[in-house]
Amino acid sequence: MGRIAVTGTSSFLGSRILRRLVDARGADSVVTVDIAAPPAALGDVHRQMLDLTLPGADQRLVDVLQVEEVDTVVHAAFFTSPRRDSSYAHELESIGTLHLVAAAAAAGVRHVLMRSYTAVYGARGQNPNFLTEDHRPDPNPSLGWVRDKLEAEQHALAFAKRYPSMGVTILRFATILGSGLHTFYSRVLAKRVVPVVFGYDPLVQFLHPEDALAALEAALAKGPCGIVNVVPRDALTLLTALHLAEKVTVAVPHPVAYALADLAWNAGIGAAPAGFVDYVRFLFVADGEKAKRELGWIARYRSRDALEAYLAYRYPETASVPLPLRGEG
Amino acid sequence: MKERPNVIPLRRTATHSRRPGPLPRADRELRARLRTVEAELERAKARAERPEGLLVTLARLAQAGTRGLSWASLARLQSALYFAWHSEDVDEFGSDRRFTETLQPLFEFLYTVWWRVETAGIEHVPAEGPGLVVVNHSGVLPYDGLMVKLAIRQEHPARRDCRMLALDMFALLPVLAPLLAKSGSVRANPENGERLLNKGELVGVFPEGVKGVGKPFRDRYKLARFGRGGFVRIALRTGAPIIPCAVVGAEEIHPMLANADWIGRPLGFPYFPITPTFPALGPLGLVPLPTKWSIDFTDPMDVSQYGPEAAEDPILVNRLSEEIRSVIQRMIDGRLARRRSVWFG
Repeated sequence: MGRIAVTGTSSFLGSRILRRLVDARGADSVVTVDIAAPPAALGDVHRQMLDLTLPGADQRLVDVLQVEEVDTVVHAAFFTSPRRDSSYAHELESIGTLHLVAAAAAAGVRHVLMRSYTAVYGARGQNPNFLTEDHRPDPNPSLGWVRDKLEAEQHALAFAKRYPSMGVTILRFATILGSGLHTFYSRVLAKRVVPVVFGYDPLVQFLHPEDALAALEAALAKGPCGIVNVVPRDALTLLTALHLAEKVTVAVPHPVAYALADLAWNAGIGAAPAGFVDYVRFLFVADGEKAKRELGWIARYRSRDALEAYLAYRYPETASVPLPLRGEG
Repeated sequence: MKERPNVIPLRRTATHSRRPGPLPRADRELRARLRTVEAELERAKARAERPEGLLVTLARLAQAGTRGLSWASLARLQSALYFAWHSEDVDEFGSDRRFTETLQPLFEFLYTVWWRVETAGIEHVPAEGPGLVVVNHSGVLPYDGLMVKLAIRQEHPARRDCRMLALDMFALLPVLAPLLAKSGSVRANPENGERLLNKGELVGVFPEGVKGVGKPFRDRYKLARFGRGGFVRIALRTGAPIIPCAVVGAEEIHPMLANADWIGRPLGFPYFPITPTFPALGPLGLVPLPTKWSIDFTDPMDVSQYGPEAAEDPILVNRLSEEIRSVIQRMIDGRLARRRSVWFG
């Protein structure tokens, strides 16, 4: 059995799955492919320093994958939060994935497991309440963050089609709330005053990190199975989440919300560019049936558990205490 | 409360001194009393652990005065205001029980007092299993959906909950969108409809869509085209029976004399009604007129005989759709022929 290569070893999922793989299979069976070295604590993991964005990356990657006898690649080199430096994000996510799958196909890799996001479906008013894997993604075209992810998925699927020997699994994770994981929602939850869109209260899904890792391991054990949504057991409404987190919400009417969001983003104070307003206005709840059926994996936590666990860990001081009565000091 | 436990055992000990027999009975009574006290304690504990309600929060804020002004207390006030009429858990389609219960008195007032809804043929709605209730749409705002839902909830012996499929234009508008979703409506699309029917739920649809709900007053009670038969397709795929339903009275609640759609379109509304009261009377014009309503259900149509693959047969789908449309039109015409007055039925 060949080795497992992991990219994006500094990312939340990448670093955790790397540790679990090392624990489960031994350091010798894992190779890291990244621009940074993994933590020294991981011991004798094979390290390959490689920049996926460089023009010749695919050539070098073919050599690396063949020398290390890799048969499975876990591709987790993605930015979970929107970046101001959008051209680098595009190079890494879209072009980097293209390099990776091209090299994997040439090197005879059996299985490429790629991390993706339910956000690629796009938050649209027209969405059905449960987005299944065969729903055609239709995100806001102005949102580079999602467009790059979608392009990466398409590269992987195109190569899997062209090279039948290589199978892909694309795990579309719902928003993961975890320690040290920077996402759009963790940026929102870090603020005291949160702007919301007036008159909208969509359902949102929050995934517990334990569930995400369990699904990733199940998918590794199972082998290639195409696109799979990885979602929590249920959803909760956005305002419920914000009020549970004790945020002050300010309602902004939607005709001006997009312009204001872009203004705030460009001024450096906003959490995300205008395209993200869609994600607090309309729902993008994904359906978890396929994961149950194909991976045999069932989420253990509800969205609310994930949120509460995150808040208790990240903001222990906001644990609900009543206002002091007069005279109680 | 404090004296009673003293009294009984004393009396019991007195009887006990005479006869040893009743001891087990006294024992039993004591045990029973202990149990009730324990249960009371449990309830009190649960009450104490429950998060503070809206009134308590307001009182605390008032008591704290200007000292209470902080971001944290503002957040807490907002949260108390929100959870006063929203529950923390919603079902998978976003329906909120506490929200529905809060608005229930208003809906019941509209149902029994304002429109005095008369429901007939409720026995045709299946007591269990899936069913697709097909209703004519009218009245500018989707009150008819609410009333059909309430009619089934109130009058049907099984007190079934009918999930209405709401038009995009309502399901996407600010304020109306969360209101509909939380009161149990679902955005109308085939995926949602099929999912609900496969779960064995009762689903209500308005196949006329915008053409029905926003039709001018002169076209009242003339059914518009039934979309493209999407509702027949989901019934065929799931084998659910179709129950035709006719609502009479909703056409006159907002008589649309003219349509200024050039105002409505930029706001996401495909029409902008000019009625005798709106916009002339301002917000007061949004109060629907108190007409007399009737809601009739009739024999379910069983489409399971055609099988799920029949959903791909456009001719059959159109024929069934047209058949149901004519059934509903006949029911409406029958009601209208018997109706003496718009206001008193």
